[in-house]
Amino acid sequence: MKAQVEFKLSHDGDQWIGRNGDLFVSGETMQLLDNDICRVLQESGQFPRGTRVRVFLGFDFDTIPTWLRQYHTHYFNRLVTLTL
Amino acid sequence: MASVNRKWTDGMLTTEDWWAVWIGLTLFGAGLLSIWGIDAVGWMAKTKTWEWTSFWSSPDFDKLLGVAHGKAGKAYEGWSGFGALLMTYLVFGVVTAIGAYFQKLDVKKFILGFATIFFITFAAWMTGHEAHFKAAKTSQSMLQSEIYGSDVYCLTKVHKCTGMINKALKELGVDVATGDIPTREQAAQAVDKTKKAIRMSWGLQLGGGFSYMLSLFVGLIIGNFMKGFAGFLKEAAKPEWFIKTAIVYLGVKLGHMSISSTAKVGAGGELMLDLALAGAAAAFVAYLIFWPIVYTLGRKAFKLKRDASAVLASGISICGVSAAIATAGAIRAKPILPIAVSMLIVVFAMIELVVLPTAYTAMAPEQPIVNAAAMGMTVKTDGADAAAGAILDELMVSSHYIASGELWEEDWILAGAVLTKIWIDVFIGVWAFVLALIWVYKVERRPDQAHVGLSEIWFRFPKFVLGYFIAWLTYVAIVIWFPESAKAADAGANIVQSPMRKMMFMLTFVAIGVITDFSKLKGMGRLTLLYAIALFAIIAPIAYGVSYLFHRGLVPPIVTG
Repeated sequence: MKAQVEFKLSHDGDQWIGRNGDLFVSGETMQLLDNDICRVLQESGQFPRGTRVRVFLGFDFDTIPTWLRQYHTHYFNRLVTLTL
Repeated sequence: MASVNRKWTDGMLTTEDWWAVWIGLTLFGAGLLSIWGIDAVGWMAKTKTWEWTSFWSSPDFDKLLGVAHGKAGKAYEGWSGFGALLMTYLVFGVVTAIGAYFQKLDVKKFILGFATIFFITFAAWMTGHEAHFKAAKTSQSMLQSEIYGSDVYCLTKVHKCTGMINKALKELGVDVATGDIPTREQAAQAVDKTKKAIRMSWGLQLGGGFSYMLSLFVGLIIGNFMKGFAGFLKEAAKPEWFIKTAIVYLGVKLGHMSISSTAKVGAGGELMLDLALAGAAAAFVAYLIFWPIVYTLGRKAFKLKRDASAVLASGISICGVSAAIATAGAIRAKPILPIAVSMLIVVFAMIELVVLPTAYTAMAPEQPIVNAAAMGMTVKTDGADAAAGAILDELMVSSHYIASGELWEEDWILAGAVLTKIWIDVFIGVWAFVLALIWVYKVERRPDQAHVGLSEIWFRFPKFVLGYFIAWLTYVAIVIWFPESAKAADAGANIVQSPMRKMMFMLTFVAIGVITDFSKLKGMGRLTLLYAIALFAIIAPIAYGVSYLFHRGLVPPIVTG
């Protein structure tokens, strides 16, 4: 299941943040984040409206405090299919 | 996306979990070179039991520390204890610094911090080996004090020292093996002739447990009263890395124990199997009994949100910080939640580590394996559990010896605590996967949009467990399939599974103390109360009951000869 778009995911305390080069998405919940991804991808003109796009969101484990990383090495990856 | 796990090989060079495997197996492999007559690990420093009046009458560092070399390591025979200490520091300093570099730690800070922790560790380890704290009485002094006196202690393992006294008696014409009973004068002569026996007016007989407790105490003092210094050490204070490396070495010890105990004492092999099977039951209890109870308690009695309750339930019930992070990730919780819960877990794990070994030893001195398995189910985080198991091992073996004169083989109790915990650890990936499915299908209700990949199970799998089993099975395979090489393999493996493993334990004790700051509990009143209730009113009693059901009456093999 290869994704068409990938984002590196983090959380700034208030919102989930996704980055991929020039693309920047954010949302307080996963649902709002997904909505923002749809908006940004539509605006980027990469995909026609109505296209189903598979998006990979990989959590950036480097944003977890160093002292905590010794206990576990993975937060989560998320694969969603969104209709633009 | 280097800091994101994509491929199954991701993290192999950048996580402490994998570095525990690499360092563990590299040194185990180096130890096995003894099969070909090469002692590549004989430089390891090894603490000695010493007595302070003797030390001060003629101070000599070699009375405190020696070289661990085996028969193949003649080249190390001339080494001083200090030389061995420096070499040990150099080897471990270099391999951990390489690991720190790949883990993207601040290498300069790590090198300085590790050097400090290393030498603090050895100072505490050597101090704890002073005979008044550590040495046990000889069995003659325990069982025939009217002949030998009640003040004869051993500067080496009890059975060796006892054998040395019997040998000295034989040279005096008294063969205790055939039933001869020495006179008081003959007994006194034999004790005087035995270099490893010493007369002392008092002794606590704590075994290696005193070194462990002293290291922990030193670490806690630094972590709570010298916070600037603790900050300086923080980059190198990695108890989980150290203990996971120690657990890989413990795999060698377990291979050794399964083989030798099966050969010498049939019950030993059965005990190992029993520990493994009961460990599986422990995993069942942690995931399917503890978790639902604590989750419900959090939701109903403490009115926590669904995600907070799930993360806390995993942290308290399963395997501590690792489970809290895995669960939070699976249910897409904000990262601040597992971070806050982890602070709580680390502090409580320390409380468990300090309280439970002593409490279990006092409560049930004749139930060593029950206590060990209960420890494995109750104490969270691998570091605290293995450390608590090590203290319990030392305390129970010593107290049983003092009470009965019978000496249990060491490390079975530790193995019980660690095996139980490892069983719980290995399923965390599966549990997180199940929770992720529940969240997607039942909580978020977005099954058509979000997919949960099976790869998440692998990413969450504790990799050090692979090193542990590889070391264990490799050792067993050599002994079974190449019996002619077994003795030679043993020479190197013994250094890895004993002084090297114990050093990693000691480093863990200091490091876990350094990172534990009790003031972190401030402002976490409600969560702290829930944690305390769940731990002491639910988890500890149920864990003990289940362990009793499976292990009651089981004891480690008895040391003979």
